[in-house]
Amino acid sequence: MSDRIVAQESRLGYRLLAPAFLVIVLLILYPIMFNLYLSFFDVQLDGNKTWVGVSNYLKLLSDQTFYHSLGTTLIYLAGTVVGTTVLGLAVALLLNEEFPLRNLVRGLVLLPYFAPVISVVFGWQFIFDPVNGIYNHVMVEELGLMSERQNVIGEPDSAIWVVIVFDVWKHFPIAFLLILAKLQSIPKDQYEAAAIDGYSAWGRFIHVTLPELRFVLGTVILLRLIWNLNRFEDVYLLAPNVETLPIYIYYRAFTGVIDQGFAAAVAVVQLVFLAGLIWLYVRKVLKW
Amino acid sequence: MAVKRSLGYKVLLFLAVSALLLFTLFPFVQILSTSLKHQVDWGNPSLIPTVVNFEAYKELLGLTSQEVELPETIKIMLQNPAISEEQRAAIIEKFKSNADIFPFGRYTLNTFLLSMATALISTALATFAAYSLARLDYRGRSIFSNTVMFVYMVGGVLLMVPLYQMAVGIGLAGHITGTLVSLLLIYVVQTLPVAIYMLGNYFRTIPKSLEEAAMIDGYSRIEAIFTIIIPLSRPMLLTVMFYCFVIAWNEYLFASVFLKQYHDFHTLPLALQTLFSSKNAIWDRIMAASMLTLLPVLIAFTLANRYIASGGTAGGVKE
Repeated sequence: MSDRIVAQESRLGYRLLAPAFLVIVLLILYPIMFNLYLSFFDVQLDGNKTWVGVSNYLKLLSDQTFYHSLGTTLIYLAGTVVGTTVLGLAVALLLNEEFPLRNLVRGLVLLPYFAPVISVVFGWQFIFDPVNGIYNHVMVEELGLMSERQNVIGEPDSAIWVVIVFDVWKHFPIAFLLILAKLQSIPKDQYEAAAIDGYSAWGRFIHVTLPELRFVLGTVILLRLIWNLNRFEDVYLLAPNVETLPIYIYYRAFTGVIDQGFAAAVAVVQLVFLAGLIWLYVRKVLKW
Repeated sequence: MAVKRSLGYKVLLFLAVSALLLFTLFPFVQILSTSLKHQVDWGNPSLIPTVVNFEAYKELLGLTSQEVELPETIKIMLQNPAISEEQRAAIIEKFKSNADIFPFGRYTLNTFLLSMATALISTALATFAAYSLARLDYRGRSIFSNTVMFVYMVGGVLLMVPLYQMAVGIGLAGHITGTLVSLLLIYVVQTLPVAIYMLGNYFRTIPKSLEEAAMIDGYSRIEAIFTIIIPLSRPMLLTVMFYCFVIAWNEYLFASVFLKQYHDFHTLPLALQTLFSSKNAIWDRIMAASMLTLLPVLIAFTLANRYIASGGTAGGVKE
């Protein structure tokens, strides 16, 4: 290619990228910086600000509810990551077996993932409703495991488990999809060789399947950590009393005693965690 | 590998698949069931309504004609000749709007228009950006690529305060037009990175020789994009639009921040959450609204299941 064409191509490259990139700079990169700036101010809803230095961060460090929120976030992340990965793996193995109508089942399993959050959260609310819900009916009347009906979602300590189960239900399909794709690419002769070597079905799983899946499982885990650290709708709409970090920020920024500078400071802390995870993802996953 | 499986294996497999389907589909069945039940039937654990009741759907779709009765005192007041025709109309209007009707159609239209605009703008911008990143060579390309990857993973909650303050700062948050423009721009930027990412991966799978052949035939690169790349990518473009549409259709966070005071412009998530938290004992309406919100996504999904599923693995998927 001549120099003239090379120059032309690169000019076109910039021109095609420019509109999208401009929007990203203006509405993501600049706001990230602006957020850092705001975290050093006392910020009112109407835009008035007063410089307060690091006092938002000092307030944060001495705030009990912040530590409580960190703990809630950790439980939420651990529960959802383990649940989604294990269930996704189990379902991928199950639906890799051959049986009639397998393709239909594979399609149906994806439904929770693609259903809008807003159209399923209230169904889950109803299942756990203290008066009408099937959960209380089964636990109290059918199985007798609980002596009386409980408002499971009303209590933050039990609501977090409902939130975790809901999240696993909603997101195991994407783990399933990623794992199944990899599972199908493992050559059959590896299993035959392992069978000849005398490995049982379990041995073949441990020695052939798992090592092949190592990278895709790592990807699933990292992506779940990243998305779930960001997650707002699924938690807030199902159980607004479960205060993971995003919900904690939302409450400080827009409800009750509004303190947007403080909310900005919490967002900075969350961004630091997130950046660490993204860095890991770029270093480990994108190289795989 | 044709292996004869034992009966025990078959039974176990059948039970496992049944349990999986029960877990996956039960909430949907529950929603459908409750949406069709009379209030007296809600506590009944059976999923089959004793009497099928379509009232909730009829009400949401505006099929029942509920005439709003004006209270006697208001009627008397309206007969006062001192009140002008406009004032009279305004008073009647006020009473009708205060009636206990949930304008589902209006909220659906709001959400549909906003989501459709987001999907169109975002996919258009992303097509050019993704093509540029996937095919053209220029200085700094990998930095741009990595930046897209990074912003792809920054959640909206981290941008909530600064974006709100920016909208206030330039005076967009004070009126409804500015608010809608801000919200649309935010939805576009929330969907743009995933759209660029998915389309970029797809463009890389199209053989370069196709465009090169077209360019030897005298097409410019821009013409090659429109005559070769875009027609070849139609299924992927639709998948990307579907993703952007669903992300916007679902969005609650920014809608609640920006639209809270503009009731007429609420989107479905915001309207349903408000309905749910403001009134008690309306399970049938909430569930019917849930079913109706689910329906468009369900239809799109049934029509394009194959593409959508493969799009999911290709994009790693923004959520």
